[in-house]
Amino acid sequence: MGTAGERLPDEVLLAGLGAGDAELAVAFVRRFQRIVFGVAVAVIGDPKTAEDVAQQAFEQAWKHAQVYDSRRGTVRAWLTRIAHNLAIDVVRARASLPVDPDDLPLMLTAMTDGPDNPEGVAVARDSAAQLRRALGLIPAPQARAVAMAGIYGLTARQVADAEGIPLGTAKTRIRDGMQKLRAAYLPEDVGDE
Amino acid sequence: MNESTEMNCAQLRDVAAELALGVLTGRERADALAHLERCEDCREHVRQLMATSEGLLGLLPASEPPAGFETRVLDRLGLAPAGPASPRAHAPQSRLARLRRRGRDNRRESASRGPRSRRLIAAAAIAVAVVGAGASGWQIGASTARPVAAPVAAAPVPLSAATFLTATRTKVGQLFVYQAKPRWIYMSVDLPDNASLPAADGMVTCQVIGADGKATSVGTFRLDGGYGAWGSPDPWSDGTVRGARLLAADGTVLATATVPVK
Repeated sequence: MGTAGERLPDEVLLAGLGAGDAELAVAFVRRFQRIVFGVAVAVIGDPKTAEDVAQQAFEQAWKHAQVYDSRRGTVRAWLTRIAHNLAIDVVRARASLPVDPDDLPLMLTAMTDGPDNPEGVAVARDSAAQLRRALGLIPAPQARAVAMAGIYGLTARQVADAEGIPLGTAKTRIRDGMQKLRAAYLPEDVGDE
Repeated sequence: MNESTEMNCAQLRDVAAELALGVLTGRERADALAHLERCEDCREHVRQLMATSEGLLGLLPASEPPAGFETRVLDRLGLAPAGPASPRAHAPQSRLARLRRRGRDNRRESASRGPRSRRLIAAAAIAVAVVGAGASGWQIGASTARPVAAPVAAAPVPLSAATFLTATRTKVGQLFVYQAKPRWIYMSVDLPDNASLPAADGMVTCQVIGADGKATSVGTFRLDGGYGAWGSPDPWSDGTVRGARLLAADGTVLATATVPVK
C-alpha cells in the first residue's frame, strides 16, 4: 500500500489516529498539517506559538477522534474548527488586540486569492468558490468586520474600538457582511428572508 | 416563529451572525440561546450562518509548518513510528506567514501527554466509544463563546472496530469498518515474532464476511516482519460486513475479526 494511508479517506486516517496506529497517524498529520498550522499562524501570527497550537489541535483530534461525526461535516472542517478554537483562546488571553488592523487587508487578500493553498481541494467546490468570490466583493468595511470577528474572534465592541466606529455600526457590518456571504455560500438555503 | 420570548426573532436575526461567529457574549448571548431553544426557524438561520463561518475558515491559506513538526506531533502523542522518521524538507512559509512574522512570543502552555503505546489496545475502546458517540461531538474546541444551536439527535455512528484474533485467541490486529457512504475498510496486523503461523512475511489475503457468513476476497497486502496494514474505500459490493479474516498464501486462516452486533 505504499505509505500507509496515502489514498485512504480522511475518516480512516482519523480512526487510525484515534486507535493509536502509528502509520495512520503519520498519514493523518501529513495530510492536514499545512491546514492546521495555516489556521493557527493566520490567527496568532507568531510561528512558535502557532506550532504549539497546531500540535494541541492534533492532540485534541487524537483524544476525541471517536466523537467525530461525519454527518456534521468533513474531517477537514472539524479539525479546522478545533485549531481555530484553540488559536482564538490564545489570542484572547493576550492583553493586546489580537489583530493588527494593518494585517487585515493582507489576510483578506490571502483568503480571496488563495494562491498558495494547494491542499484546498474542498475550496474548489462551487460553494466555497462562491464564498471566496463574495468575500472579495462585499464592501470592504463589512469584510473587515467579518474577518475581525470570524477569524480573530473579536467581539463587536472590539471591532468598533479597532475601527473607530460606533458599536451599532460594527454590529451592522458583521450582520450584513455575513448575510451576503451566507447567500453566496448556501444559495439554495436562502429564501426564507 | 416565536414572538413571546424576551428576544424576538427580529432581535435574534440582528445578533445571529455574532452568535454564529462565536463572538456574542454576556446577556445578549444568553438571550439569543434562550430564543433558539424555542424557535426552529432561527435555529436554522444560525445553523446556516455557522456553516458560512466554517466556510470562511476554509479559506484561510495553508502554511508549511516548521521543519520537524510532524515528528514532534507524533512524539507528543507517543505515536512515533519505529523506523527513522522522514521529516519533510523545510519549505518556505506562506506569503502571509512571511509577511506577518512579528516575533510575538508566547510561552508554551501545553499539557503534554506522555508517550505511551496504544497500538493494538485501543480497538475495543473505539468500538465502545463509537456506539455511544452520537450525542457528543462537534463542540470539541475550548472557546467559551461557541453557539450551541441546532443539536443533532443522537444516533449510532456507522463505524465499527474489531480485534483480529488467531485460532488461539491471540490479539494480532485491528479492523475498522465504516458501513455508511462512502464505505471503507481498514486493518492493521502485527503478528508476534514467535508465532507458529505461516506468512509472517509475504502476501496475505483479506476476506470480508457478510451477514450470511459468506467470505469474499477483497484485497491482498504484504506483511513485513509480521506487520502490515491495508485499507480500501468501498471494497465490498453490498450488504453488511460482519467481520473479516486474513489468509496466508496457502489458504491458512491467520486471524479473524468479528464486528460486534449493535
